[in-house]
Amino acid sequence: MPLNKLWTLAARDLGRNRRRSILTLLAVALGLALLMVMNGYIAGVTEDTLQNSIRLRTGHVQIRASSYEEDELSLQAKDLLANPDELTARVSTLSEVKAAAPVLWASGILETHDDSAGLQIYGIDTASPMYAPIQAAMISGEFLTPDDRNGILIGKPLADSMNVGAGQKVNLAIVNSDGRPDEGTFTIRGLFATGIPSYDQSVAFMPLSKAQAFTGTNRHASAIFILLNNQADTEKVAAALRGPDVKVLTWSDLNQVFVQTMQTSMSFYAILDFIVMLIVAVIIANTLLMSVFERIREMGILAALGMKGRNILQMFLLEAAGLGLAGIVVGIVLGSAGVAYLATNGIPIGDQVAAVGGSSLALGTTLYARFVPGTFAALSLAMLLIVVLASLYPAWYAARLEPVEALRAE
Amino acid sequence: MEAIQLEHVTKAYHIGAVETKALNDVNLSVAEGEFTALVGPSGSGKTTLLQLIGCLDKPDQGAVKIKGQDVTRLTGNQRADLRRERIGFIFQFFALVPVLTAYENVELPLLLNGVKPKERRERVIELLEAVGVSHRANHRPVQMSGGEQQRVAIARALASRPVLVLADEPTANLDTANGQQAMEIMRRLNEETGTAFVYATHDPRVVAFAHRVVNMRDGRITDNGAHA
Repeated sequence: MPLNKLWTLAARDLGRNRRRSILTLLAVALGLALLMVMNGYIAGVTEDTLQNSIRLRTGHVQIRASSYEEDELSLQAKDLLANPDELTARVSTLSEVKAAAPVLWASGILETHDDSAGLQIYGIDTASPMYAPIQAAMISGEFLTPDDRNGILIGKPLADSMNVGAGQKVNLAIVNSDGRPDEGTFTIRGLFATGIPSYDQSVAFMPLSKAQAFTGTNRHASAIFILLNNQADTEKVAAALRGPDVKVLTWSDLNQVFVQTMQTSMSFYAILDFIVMLIVAVIIANTLLMSVFERIREMGILAALGMKGRNILQMFLLEAAGLGLAGIVVGIVLGSAGVAYLATNGIPIGDQVAAVGGSSLALGTTLYARFVPGTFAALSLAMLLIVVLASLYPAWYAARLEPVEALRAE
Repeated sequence: MEAIQLEHVTKAYHIGAVETKALNDVNLSVAEGEFTALVGPSGSGKTTLLQLIGCLDKPDQGAVKIKGQDVTRLTGNQRADLRRERIGFIFQFFALVPVLTAYENVELPLLLNGVKPKERRERVIELLEAVGVSHRANHRPVQMSGGEQQRVAIARALASRPVLVLADEPTANLDTANGQQAMEIMRRLNEETGTAFVYATHDPRVVAFAHRVVNMRDGRITDNGAHA
């Protein structure tokens, strides 16, 4: 029997019990919409957090001295890059590189008369486009200039917690490159708010030359920070920069905890996806089984007319596919609306929750979903496959009915 | 040539441990073009006999031959092919596909046989006109009376130009006038097409249409050929 005629039969059978068909279609649609929103949200949170981290904390690639340990924030000459300007100039010649700048890190304690807080000092090339996100995030005061000898920038949450503001003086204590404690008085030139509480509470910026002088590290740097035009070029650039005296780290190495955590979480989310699909599969199988049981005598008539089991199987599979496809179309519309809403408005999680991850997790205070067409297409296909698989048993049951038994059915 | 031959056919049903013989050593021949009534009380084996002739079921013993071909050893698919090409069915409960129109119900066997669209259309229109329901071509079964539905079922049974049409109590769900009309149409089409008809009934008014009456009781044929 021609497939288009079988399709006509299947489509009309779906219209036979409209309420049941619509409810089943909605189950497929809502299941897919839920999966799209869930996966879009997870993808948004994951990608935004990673990009925040790359933009503010790690860059795409870093060059460090071979012996540098990030946890120690060592200021000893042996752990630092002795020729950062030369390295930066070399890196900047690569066409894939968007920006490269040396940075010096030190741990310090910010003190006022009443309060103190530990933080990480970033000695930065203030003229580098690398820090455009910080310039854009300035909410009071002004950004640093290269020759500023006693200015620093701190985050607004830190300033609020210490009751200080732009223009006020604060004390900064460090352990310098010789291992001796040192301190200096600095003026808060401005406050920034990147929207990443864990970052804004724990970082202070000062010009690189001042940081080098303050810490006694001469013209050394902790690392060369590199941003690329295209993240996909990371391995290529890293390979080009590897050398005997330096270690080259990529964003993947530098965000290892986050990347591994997300990979582990993905297994959990995959189980959630599977459970949603399983529920949809049970609903579809139930609907089609009911449909088969209601039409057993009709199957007998079709068999008496000479329709083979294969055709009856095809007819039920087409019914399921029709129901599944319609449900998927509605699901894509509903899911896209949900993802669009969450991509625009996000879900606010508050400063305290956002800061829970600490400095290794650059969570924003509002988490947004994003469209991931490849994932959505895969989910839609998986849903269609599940629907067809779920219909196999009812279809097979109908196809195996003995005509004489089927005709006897009430 | 014989349209149907049954040789020593036996069929039993098992309900739990109890065996009931629906047919017991039945022998029967029906010639091409014959209009035959199977008559007998309920439980006499008429429906079982029609199901075996119609290749819907297999006998426990004996042979069923359609146009000389022994159908008892055919596979399910081969029996489906045979039904599709050579046998038409008319049921007591009309048995039209509810989601299809009268036209589409008659077209269904032609589609299953791969008949080309133009020929299909001509054949369906011809048959709907022959049974007097062409004005109902685009109506679904639920929009038609029982008499009209049964006439569509008769048209469908003849669509593929079968050698044999089997009808199980074709007038049992119809009033007298519609039953009479359905039988007149069946008889006329039998004469016009030469298709053999075998129908089961216990209504004497319906028996009267037959060329030949086969009486059954307790799974046996008690009278093999009294002509009406």
